[in-house]
Amino acid sequence: MNARGVGRFGRFLFVVALAQCSVRSAPPLVEVAPPPERATSGARAEAPTSLTLPLKEGSVRFAVIGDTGRANSGQIEVGRQMAAFHKQFPFSFVIMVGDNIYGTDAPADMVAKFESPYKVLLDAGVTFHAALGNHDNPNQRFYKLFNMGDKRYYTFRPASGGGVRFFALDSTYIDKVQTDWFEKELASSSSDWKIAFFHHPLYSSGRTHGSSLETRAILEPLFLKYQVSAAFSGHDHFYERIKPQKGGIVYWVSGAGGSLRKGDIAVTELTAKGYDRDYHFMLVEISGDELYFQTISRTGVTLDSGVLHRPGAPVRAPGTSPAAPVLVVPAPVPIAPPKATPTPTPIAPPKVTPTPTGPISL
Amino acid sequence: MKHHTAHQSGARTFALAGGLGLIGLFLPDPTSAQTPPSTAEAAKTVKVTKKVEKARRAGERAAKEATEALKRFQKEVAEYERLHVAQLARLGTVEPVRVQEALARAIVSKRDEAKPGDIFAKDVQPLFRTLIAEQLKGPDTAAAQKAVVEGNPTRDEDSVPVLVRVNGVYPAGASRSTVPASLLLALPPLPPCLHYLFVERDLLLVDSVAQIIVDYLPAAAPALVGK
Repeated sequence: MNARGVGRFGRFLFVVALAQCSVRSAPPLVEVAPPPERATSGARAEAPTSLTLPLKEGSVRFAVIGDTGRANSGQIEVGRQMAAFHKQFPFSFVIMVGDNIYGTDAPADMVAKFESPYKVLLDAGVTFHAALGNHDNPNQRFYKLFNMGDKRYYTFRPASGGGVRFFALDSTYIDKVQTDWFEKELASSSSDWKIAFFHHPLYSSGRTHGSSLETRAILEPLFLKYQVSAAFSGHDHFYERIKPQKGGIVYWVSGAGGSLRKGDIAVTELTAKGYDRDYHFMLVEISGDELYFQTISRTGVTLDSGVLHRPGAPVRAPGTSPAAPVLVVPAPVPIAPPKATPTPTPIAPPKVTPTPTGPISL
Repeated sequence: MKHHTAHQSGARTFALAGGLGLIGLFLPDPTSAQTPPSTAEAAKTVKVTKKVEKARRAGERAAKEATEALKRFQKEVAEYERLHVAQLARLGTVEPVRVQEALARAIVSKRDEAKPGDIFAKDVQPLFRTLIAEQLKGPDTAAAQKAVVEGNPTRDEDSVPVLVRVNGVYPAGASRSTVPASLLLALPPLPPCLHYLFVERDLLLVDSVAQIIVDYLPAAAPALVGK
């Protein structure tokens, strides 16, 4: 190759490298609703997508919902969709990240705002574990179906074990008694996976609420000291997966199980993936050092999915630093253009794809 | 027609791999997407963390320098706790979901002459106002103020109004303001049966089970900024 050829090849490499860089550093994929004045009512009619979770033997399987208890069509349709997916992905419990019952909480309210929307799941033996939100009467801790053991904050291990422990916190009132309890429980836990769930997000790109900095100042040092692996919150009424933060901890905002604030995500550098157009719920599967997640809209569309390698766990891939958290997500599922029909009433059961599509690195 | 030999194909593969390897030198570290928060986000965290530490020290200082007024406040709180525990024990095997109503009735009947300032007595009010102002007024208090505004029933679109009066019920449909963690560290600690809560700028003492307003300190917080 002569000098001119070398120059051309160099320019070629530079252009290719530039293109690659732009792909890697492209802004995160965010489905943001148009401003309210342009927002279309009703859900987008999109075809239900497949289950991407691997259904590994002996895995811990659960769902996540937040800001639910309104007895509105959004909550009810999410409940139906959860029941449909439960047939294919038999999760054994659900964590509720607060604002479980808006308004009054008389026995009739508990039926309308909780028991009825999730009746199929309750009848199937699925248990619910609630954290309190700012709209919840703290006495919901006495409500048996929330499995809170009469406590505002508590910890539990799933029956299937799997080296996973959950910590439900009351983020509306983080006093010293609660943080002392939390630290003691974290210190004595030998579980590989320590998962915290509470209402106010430590990280969020919400225009209405956003990150709860005061709560973060108290909780994050404990998360780091005791290697909490992941945290689920609500409060902001949309879906957001936050890029791994200090300690490789991944934070999720899942606050649209029955409440929705369209167009409320202000895309920030925190956002790995966000969606604020429709109600949603999450499905999670933990197997060994892997946490697989799939976020599904009320119409059954997969909004986000991927796998998180437990922060701090040895990474099997050669040439990777053992301490480095690895988050890989499959290619985003293409979303069909909206059709004329605003709300699809019949919910088709999800199809099962035994093996997820090939993952790509973030 | 061109025939590609295995040798030619291998050479191309090698060249492609080499090229891609070279490209890799130009690419950012794949783990860069997993780095800690940005400078702006980190700076905010550092500021709030410092403030929380300051609040912790303020709380410890107030506890050490326990004035007569603070001791009286603690005595009143302890007395209320005894009443709460005794009435709760008397309820016996009431269905848990009915505890709130039954306990509220029992406590109110024992405190029917209670009035504002019984616990937040006049002599302890300046201490509370000072501790609250330290956490909610001035620079670096934006996060704490935001917390007080969030869920404050006067600011929350989903909340029913709260009528602030001693022995009044904190309604089930009313949202709860976040009491900033820094403020909870600075204020005198309460037993589990009592919580501090804000309704607009008033600081309330609310029974955590009976959900009744035990006492309140009017306009305890400085003017709040926010929605």
